[in-house]
Amino acid sequence: MKFQGKAWTFGRNVNTDLIFPKIWFRPTYAPGEMASHLMVGIDEDFPRKVARGDIIVGGRNFGCGSSREEAAAAMKEAGVAAVVAPSFGRLFTRNAINVGLPIVSLAGIDEQIQQGDMIEINLSEGWIRNRRSGFEARLPPMAPESLKLIEEGGIANYTRRVLEQRRGMQS
Amino acid sequence: MHAISKIIARHAGKKAVEVGEIVNVVPDYVMLNDRGAARAADLFRSMGGEKVFDPDRVIVVFDHHYPPIRPQDSISQKQTREWIREQGIAKFHPGEGIGHVIFPERGYSFPGALIFGTDSHTVTNSAVGCVATGMGHSDIASYLALGYNWLKVPEVVRYDLHGQFRPGVYAKDIALRIAQLYGEDAAPYLGVEFSGPLIAAMPMPERFVLCNMVIDFGAKTGYVQPDDVTARWMAERAPSLSWTAETTDSEQDYGGIVDIDVSAIEPLVALPHDLSTVRKAAELGDVRIDEAIFGTCTGGRIDDFRVAAMIMKGKRLAPHTRMMVNPGSREIYVQAMREGLIAVMVEAGATIGVPGCGPCSGCHQGMLAPADNAITNASRNFKGRFGSPEANAYVASSATVAASAIAGRIVSPTATTSL
Repeated sequence: MKFQGKAWTFGRNVNTDLIFPKIWFRPTYAPGEMASHLMVGIDEDFPRKVARGDIIVGGRNFGCGSSREEAAAAMKEAGVAAVVAPSFGRLFTRNAINVGLPIVSLAGIDEQIQQGDMIEINLSEGWIRNRRSGFEARLPPMAPESLKLIEEGGIANYTRRVLEQRRGMQS
Repeated sequence: MHAISKIIARHAGKKAVEVGEIVNVVPDYVMLNDRGAARAADLFRSMGGEKVFDPDRVIVVFDHHYPPIRPQDSISQKQTREWIREQGIAKFHPGEGIGHVIFPERGYSFPGALIFGTDSHTVTNSAVGCVATGMGHSDIASYLALGYNWLKVPEVVRYDLHGQFRPGVYAKDIALRIAQLYGEDAAPYLGVEFSGPLIAAMPMPERFVLCNMVIDFGAKTGYVQPDDVTARWMAERAPSLSWTAETTDSEQDYGGIVDIDVSAIEPLVALPHDLSTVRKAAELGDVRIDEAIFGTCTGGRIDDFRVAAMIMKGKRLAPHTRMMVNPGSREIYVQAMREGLIAVMVEAGATIGVPGCGPCSGCHQGMLAPADNAITNASRNFKGRFGSPEANAYVASSATVAASAIAGRIVSPTATTSL
């Protein structure tokens, strides 16, 4: 898996209350609805500014706080190609993998990327590059199970496939 | 292996697991709250799910938005009621309190168990010596369809607590001290075990406070090694349940051991809008309090009511201060009434709401206006959590919240009451 996109940078300890404020919680969401509230706790205009293929770059402990999957799902729905930070909240990490949003963790990466930088990431080969500055680094290997889940498009596709296999075995 | 690894191994049907390994596990119970049930049911259908894999392991609570105040929540709860009937889910607790308070009360969480829930504070349960963690809605939907979830075995860090509590200092102050010293990412992805002589003497409600807060240090689960205190709790809560506690093999099973001398801790307050900016309550100067928010899965237990009533007895809230109180569960509500604690708080001017998450759900009674200052015994002071993003929330112990509600500004509980 590889992609390149324009970076949007955010600070440390960005919690999921900021990424997807609770006032926008709904039992079900129309297509595009989650994306229309992405990051509005920090920047009301962000849903209009972010474009498909862009990359979100956070500071340490990005996505800390509540279990709300909408934080990661809204990024996926907005077409965010990947989310990058020195470290992430554990639930955000899990949710990103489950919704099939590539998540890249690398110590100090927030210091190497500025707003608007063009970033290249190759998850399969395990590297990241900042095309403006020439910064390049190896990525710590991702668990093969997690990478597989992301490549499959997330846990929904995985579940669908396993259910079909089970039903196939029964019939 | 650490006890946490052993619990995960057992639920994965394996003899042993290694830290960092990803395994498929079958949890004992999965908690769906009102929002989680609605979302997970929807995603479950979209994943092709028809019948829930094992309805006996699924427990549904309505705690965030109960009773519903918006039509969207009324509709969603109606649909959830229909869905759980269709699915044969019998363990259903609408309006009976917060999932994380009800679970240990009813013995749904027990030593050696594996518990998942659609809420980050599911970690609270881990105080009984189990592994308990929050998950996203797709995760839980996948569980409902398949009957298992993936889980990575965490490294474990141990906090050894020793020393003597100063007057007016509680488990909540220890949690704030950890956030102050080590930050909101003190324990990312880790298991956090609380141990040491202070834990041995600590009652279950205070252990729940510590384990509740580990998510706000970034942890996957808390842990307290089951002991006599745990056994007495279980005997009272689930007398017919048999359980087996796991034990940790050696000191080598810890990624780190942190020593915390509680004697040095004074009543503390986390300042807006993050948990790691912490000051002594006594040194905050004149911080006006417009609203005190009392309750939640962190501070809504009977011990919290007892200390608050002791501080508030015969007193009135400051004229400019309001107080919203939500008991953690119906059982705690009734107990607090029996002991006269609710009467003390109402006579002081507090408003009592339904057992549940209260304003911490972000859309229930007691929302803050711009420029409001609130003090709460909840776990989080995130921007906008209790209403307006221009409001300020301070996080403290139940005692500090009660004393500050009376004073109308942030004070140490020892300033008003001999504790």
